[in-house]
Amino acid sequence: MENKIKEIRKSLKMTQEELASTVDVTRQTIISLEAGRYNPSLELAWRIAKALKKKKVEDVFDLN
Amino acid sequence: MKDKKSPKTRLIARYGFSVAVILAGLILNYLEVGSEFLGFSSIGSWLVYVGFIMMAIITLQLISKKKRITDERAEFVASKAARISFVAIILFAFVVMILDGIKPIQISYSYFMSSMVCGIILVYLVSYKILNRKY
Repeated sequence: MENKIKEIRKSLKMTQEELASTVDVTRQTIISLEAGRYNPSLELAWRIAKALKKKKVEDVFDLN
Repeated sequence: MKDKKSPKTRLIARYGFSVAVILAGLILNYLEVGSEFLGFSSIGSWLVYVGFIMMAIITLQLISKKKRITDERAEFVASKAARISFVAIILFAFVVMILDGIKPIQISYSYFMSSMVCGIILVYLVSYKILNRKY
């Protein structure tokens, strides 16, 4: 699964730490997600999309 | 998924268990049950020692300033590490059975089990650290 977390986060001028605390995970998890090493659960994907001000999960995550 | 037990309940349960271990040790010492055990004068003394170690670990975790966040990735890594440890136990048991068949193992049961517990913890720790880098 591909994602645009890094691009959207940078466009919002948000740090990994800020995003991590918003979605209640560790910064290490955000690093893993951005690197594409870990695929989040639907709940976390939804929380991330919400934190990145996107209405749909598909705007952030793309199933390839 | 959230854990149903509150941190306070878990803390009380953990302290309660360590107190129970100490009490069991004191009772066994009072009844003069058992002889030398794993380098201790008796099983009772060993239980008292283990109980105090457990209590010290719980207290250190309690006063530690470090905030611990357990997110879903940590749970995922932990479950994978647990599965690896489980497979390692089965393989180890298989090897021990063969070795025991070739030449009967002479070490005491308590020493063997304590070594095995340390081994399992070590396998879990190493696999957790490796998987934590991978995922």
